[in-house]
Amino acid sequence: MALNMMNPRQAKEETVGTELSLERLVFHLNTLAELGDEVTSPREFSRVVKASLFMVMGTFSASKGVIFSYDGEKRLFSPVASKGLPEMGQTGGAGGGGVELKLNDAALKEALKCTAPVDLAGEEPIVRMLGPGKETLDRLSARLVVFLVTKDELLGLIAINEKFSGEDYSDYDMRLLSVMAQQISYSLHSQTLLTRLISKYNENRELYKNLSRVYYDTIHAFATAIDAKDAYTKGHSHRVSSYCAVLAGEMGWNEGDVEGIRIAGLLHDIGKIAVDKSIINKASPLTSMECRELNSHPVVGYEILSKIKFPWKGIPLMTRNHHEKVDGSGYPDRLERAEIPLGARVMALVDAFDAMTTDRPYRPRLTFREAMEEVKRNYDRQFDPDVVRPFIKVIRKEINGESEHPSIVPFLQEHLENAEVARILEDFPR
Amino acid sequence: MKEGRDSFRVLGDVVILYAENYINDIEGEKLEDMCEAFLKKGAKKILIDFSGTDLINSIGVSILIGLIEKVRDCKAVVFFSGLKKVNYDIIDLVGITRHIQVFNSEDEALKEFEEPGSDLLV
Repeated sequence: MALNMMNPRQAKEETVGTELSLERLVFHLNTLAELGDEVTSPREFSRVVKASLFMVMGTFSASKGVIFSYDGEKRLFSPVASKGLPEMGQTGGAGGGGVELKLNDAALKEALKCTAPVDLAGEEPIVRMLGPGKETLDRLSARLVVFLVTKDELLGLIAINEKFSGEDYSDYDMRLLSVMAQQISYSLHSQTLLTRLISKYNENRELYKNLSRVYYDTIHAFATAIDAKDAYTKGHSHRVSSYCAVLAGEMGWNEGDVEGIRIAGLLHDIGKIAVDKSIINKASPLTSMECRELNSHPVVGYEILSKIKFPWKGIPLMTRNHHEKVDGSGYPDRLERAEIPLGARVMALVDAFDAMTTDRPYRPRLTFREAMEEVKRNYDRQFDPDVVRPFIKVIRKEINGESEHPSIVPFLQEHLENAEVARILEDFPR
Repeated sequence: MKEGRDSFRVLGDVVILYAENYINDIEGEKLEDMCEAFLKKGAKKILIDFSGTDLINSIGVSILIGLIEKVRDCKAVVFFSGLKKVNYDIIDLVGITRHIQVFNSEDEALKEFEEPGSDLLV
């Protein structure tokens, strides 16, 4: 015989009756503790809200229930969790469909004042104010509704049906539901804040993107203006920028630093703005005074750029020292090896490489083989071996088609065969 | 569900579902889903055995009520068996015991299913 059929049903009434037994109290205290854990847990919101609804329904043995979240802008309640209501879509599933609820202004205003659950079968004024919203709630078999309010902000509502046990809701139940609703409100409030924060973040990110675009466009315009002073160096700054970035990436620099050297590459010759155009374009050897003026461009560039607060570090110094040589024979500071900022050593190589592989007023461009011979000749003299090695790696990768975005080889004005390049590079010091 | 035991067993026209160790998490909905799957296949006699279940909380209660509702919708019968006292007290407290028959053991419940008229609706 069934356990629960051994005694007359009346005997069971003692246990399931409305009186507050110790077992009932312990069950409810446990549920409140678990609900507290749930709403403060870092779990996914949809899971938290679903578990919270299940706890409410289990506590009051309701078979149908739904939690709506309120969107103040749309003035609409949308389901975020439901159970036992096929019209809401997947049982217990979060949002994404189902019945939406709209309340009129009077009901919304009244809802803010409702700290206790509302019995839809009762006579409270708000029940009459619900208007068409009441019909929706009736369709969902709702008997009790509790509004989720935090700091005078309406966040949503919970609706549950009659008790499965057949009992009526007691005052104690109403108070308990009110406490549970308050806990669930915190979770909904956190989610609302998070949603707003994400929306603000996305807005700011978009703004930042636009600002960055303007910033980059300005810098690119600068670079174009710099190169325009010299008919022969058209595109030089853009190529140096691109070569610097790919080489820095090969050397394992982080994204921010790669971006920094990319910008430095665009601006490294900005000091040439102060140099007379006739000197820059002179085909014959420069006089010592002209040479001094031309060689002043890294310092002039440094002075211009050091007044700008860049979001990347080292740009002014990379500009100042991009004509230094590791043997200390460069200019303007005659720095040696590690004294020269690494970015400037990178720039020194790619700047010279681009100068060699493009036509100049005083000589035609060198072939790739000739340029690499020159790099080899100046290995560990003008150029830092720690920079030359990764540079060769980049070239090899681009020639072998291993690079997703080749940045150097496409700019060389000659067709390079793998075997030939391999021969050129093979006897490079490793 | 006890370790090493299947989550269900079909014995004649009775489907026996073995509940998990804990029915205190929304993961417990698996039991409801499994029951629904058998109901869809036409099962009319369902037995849920809780002998391996240590804890049922309010989430578990909600899941069990959902399960009973589904059984009702399909005009089938569900019995519970093997409930530990603490779990029996909880389902009794929330009134579930008013709607279904609860047995000490799986065997007792199966015997009841063999009785004529046991397929009366819950």
